Amino acid sequence: MDIADREKFTEVLFENIRDGILILDRNYRIMAVNNAIQKWIERPAADLMDKDCVEVFHDKNWVCPHCAAKVTFETGDVNIVTQKITHNESTRYAEISAYPIQDSVGVVIECVVFIQDITDRMLCHDEVLKLYNEVALTKDYLEGIIENSADAIVSSDLNGIITSWNSGAERIYGFTKEEAMGKFLPFVPDFLIDPEWENNKRIITGEVLKRIETFRKRKDGSIISISLTLSPIKNTVGDVIGISGISRDISEKKNVEKELVRRNQELSRLFFISSAMRGTLDLDRLLRMVLTAVTMGDGLGFNRAILFFVDEDRNVLRGAMGVGPASHEEAFHIWDRLSLEKKTLPDIMQDIEIGPLRKDSFFDRLSMGIEIPLTEKTIITKAVNEKKLFNIDDVEKEPLSDTVLIQQLGTQAYAAVPLISRNKVLGVLWVDNYFNRRPVTEEDMRFLTAFSNHVASAIENARLFERVKFAEQELENIFESISDMVYFVGRDYVVKNINKAVSNRLGKPPKDIIGKKCYEVFHGTKQPLSECPHQKTVEKREAFVEEVEDSYLGGTFITSSSPIFDISGEFIGTVNVVSDITELKNLRERVIKTDRMAALGEVAARVAHEIRNPLVSLGGFARRLEKKLDGNLKEYADIIAKEVGRLEGILNEILSFVKETRINKEIVSSNNIIDEVISLIWSEIDDRGIVLVKEYSEPIELFVDPNRIKDALLNILTNAVQAVGSNGTISVKTYFRNGACIFEIKDTGPGIAEEDLTYIFDPFFTTKKSGTGLGLTITHRIIEEHDGSIEVESKPGAGSTFRVLIPLQKRSDT
Amino acid sequence: MKILIVDDDLHIQRLYKEEFEDEGYEVVVASNGQEAMEMFDKENPDIVTLDILLPDVDGIRILRQMKEKNPKVPVIMSTAYDYRDDFAVWASEAYIVKSSDLEELKSMIKKLVVK
Repeated sequence: MDIADREKFTEVLFENIRDGILILDRNYRIMAVNNAIQKWIERPAADLMDKDCVEVFHDKNWVCPHCAAKVTFETGDVNIVTQKITHNESTRYAEISAYPIQDSVGVVIECVVFIQDITDRMLCHDEVLKLYNEVALTKDYLEGIIENSADAIVSSDLNGIITSWNSGAERIYGFTKEEAMGKFLPFVPDFLIDPEWENNKRIITGEVLKRIETFRKRKDGSIISISLTLSPIKNTVGDVIGISGISRDISEKKNVEKELVRRNQELSRLFFISSAMRGTLDLDRLLRMVLTAVTMGDGLGFNRAILFFVDEDRNVLRGAMGVGPASHEEAFHIWDRLSLEKKTLPDIMQDIEIGPLRKDSFFDRLSMGIEIPLTEKTIITKAVNEKKLFNIDDVEKEPLSDTVLIQQLGTQAYAAVPLISRNKVLGVLWVDNYFNRRPVTEEDMRFLTAFSNHVASAIENARLFERVKFAEQELENIFESISDMVYFVGRDYVVKNINKAVSNRLGKPPKDIIGKKCYEVFHGTKQPLSECPHQKTVEKREAFVEEVEDSYLGGTFITSSSPIFDISGEFIGTVNVVSDITELKNLRERVIKTDRMAALGEVAARVAHEIRNPLVSLGGFARRLEKKLDGNLKEYADIIAKEVGRLEGILNEILSFVKETRINKEIVSSNNIIDEVISLIWSEIDDRGIVLVKEYSEPIELFVDPNRIKDALLNILTNAVQAVGSNGTISVKTYFRNGACIFEIKDTGPGIAEEDLTYIFDPFFTTKKSGTGLGLTITHRIIEEHDGSIEVESKPGAGSTFRVLIPLQKRSDT
Repeated sequence: MKILIVDDDLHIQRLYKEEFEDEGYEVVVASNGQEAMEMFDKENPDIVTLDILLPDVDGIRILRQMKEKNPKVPVIMSTAYDYRDDFAVWASEAYIVKSSDLEELKSMIKKLVVK
């Protein structure tokens, strides 16, 4: 570039620069000026050439280039000043830079002044300044907060090295700022280092962990509970460069909370037990539950508990049940583990029934042996008599301490709470802490009192229930065991309830009877019977008694029907008692017969002794006379002897009838028996020319007294032979039917008159001229002795059929 | 041969005595338990007929006393009442229900004293 080009370039530069440029000589004459100067003065730039700069600019509210140049001329250095120009109500800032131009010897001959508009820059600077001040203020404020905060505010770098530590942290953790700074998380207990790192990792990803509850270690090593909020610290570009943590000591709060939780648990256990108690009405089990609640760790937590009950009859307080360990060893090994925690009701029940709380433990037995007369004046009797609770913390200081308890239980301190229900003392709940010696606190006593109220009412309920249950059971038993049919029928004729006798009689299970209409069930009809006592009772609302003959049930019955009213007096149905008087009739007849027999037995014994001896002498001497006499007299004596012999025969028959005989059973064949009977009387059958027809089944094995059965059958067969007389037929059959062996003896004799038929088995009843009337009676008795029966079919002129039924028995049924 | 007849009925005593003397036996009698034991000791009978119902002592007890004294002497229990079922447990040789016909008793005695 040559000089001309250079001048040209300088000129272009000079004119195009946005700053105003002036060149001044030492007299401040304007040597050169560019157009940009017009920004600073309202005159064309050309006008300013060779003008005095001071004249042009000074004191005219314009910039003062000469003022800047003056210093440069004086010092020879660059001088830069900032000037504020207020013109036409607008303010502008100018930076005026004066550069010295020196001659060859270094004297400043001219000065170049640049005037740069720095208004924008200046205004911006102001703003920044203002902001800076604000930030500084906020910082102070925050620092104040951090420093004065009660919370510990701590920051660390990503490696857990402490970078800040406030006074709150000093107070809470015990480390001073100097001790903590630069250390690796000094307040994190060893056991929490790993989870802490996990937390830090999450923070590094930008997460904030709010109010986590954890533990910290103080300088003195103690552990405290804190609530902690961890946040990331980010730099201006958003990278996480550290972690801040704000923590608060919540140990106190925690303790309160724990206490609340404990109390809450305690209450819920008690509530649980209390509900369980309400759920059981079994007194024994209930009492055991009560004592469980009293002694379990998370119940009331006493070491031992005893329930005493007031025995009003004997005026004593009697130990009813005791729960507690037998020894220290048991207390610490078994008892400590007992807890209701996480247990279901059945689990607890099991503990109560077979666990260490079980009935009949050593302590239970010990407790049950204790008896304290209520007339004695001791603490426990005072609890009953004065309805007060007592907390004896030292038995030696209390003159009324129960010596029985001290001696038998070794207690040193105890509490006794009366169990009061409906203003009546049922007993006393006694507790002590024999094993751990924990004093019984006022709070314990409050709990015990509240608890004892529950217990008393639960016991009262259980007792009442037991009584009701017992009464109910008794009623039920009576109802069920009544041999008469008893049943309840509603107004609508529907059977509501029945006893066993009804079910047995109808041969149906209760479910087929209850809920059905009574007339359908009892009479098999679709309509109520007009004679039905129930219907009459429904109509008249009063009791009716009727004798009803019912072919459906097959018998004669006495039915009584009484109205039942509910509590409000409304008629709801009838209770019916039905007696089968067919049975009653049989019974009555039986009784009469038995009476007759007994009377007969007595007569017979007397007869035997009073009659037989005279007969023996009478007959004996008649025989002697007969031997010594001749002719008519011999004949008379013979008649006497023979008649006496007949009398003796009758006497023997009567005596054998009334006499109790033993039965000697053995196994015999049905056909053999009847054949032997026939052989005994065969000569007579043969003599009379009677046709005997035998029709036997396969032999049936019988377990009977053969001689007695033969006697029985012989009597029937003898009667048949006598009835047939001669030229008749007797048929003898044996067969098996319905589990019984049957001997059937049928004759073609004259038959038995209908009016006689009911008497044929009665003693002394006979239609024969000579007979005792005991034959069939004896037969009947023998068959009865073998649990058998006799059926008779007979019509006058059509002969008679006797059937002897012998049930087949096992051999052991002798 | 000596028979001791024990019976409180004097007619029966006489009847038996006459009948058995006719048969050739020597007969001694007793009317109650005490007499029976005295006669048993004094007379050393070869056979005894003993009534069960005696006015003083039960015949069963007399039977036992006689058997304790001399078990070889046979005793026939003779009663007005049929005790046949109980007879088995007694320690007597025979048992008979009294009857005006003495044939059975006579044959029983014959059998027992021959032994």
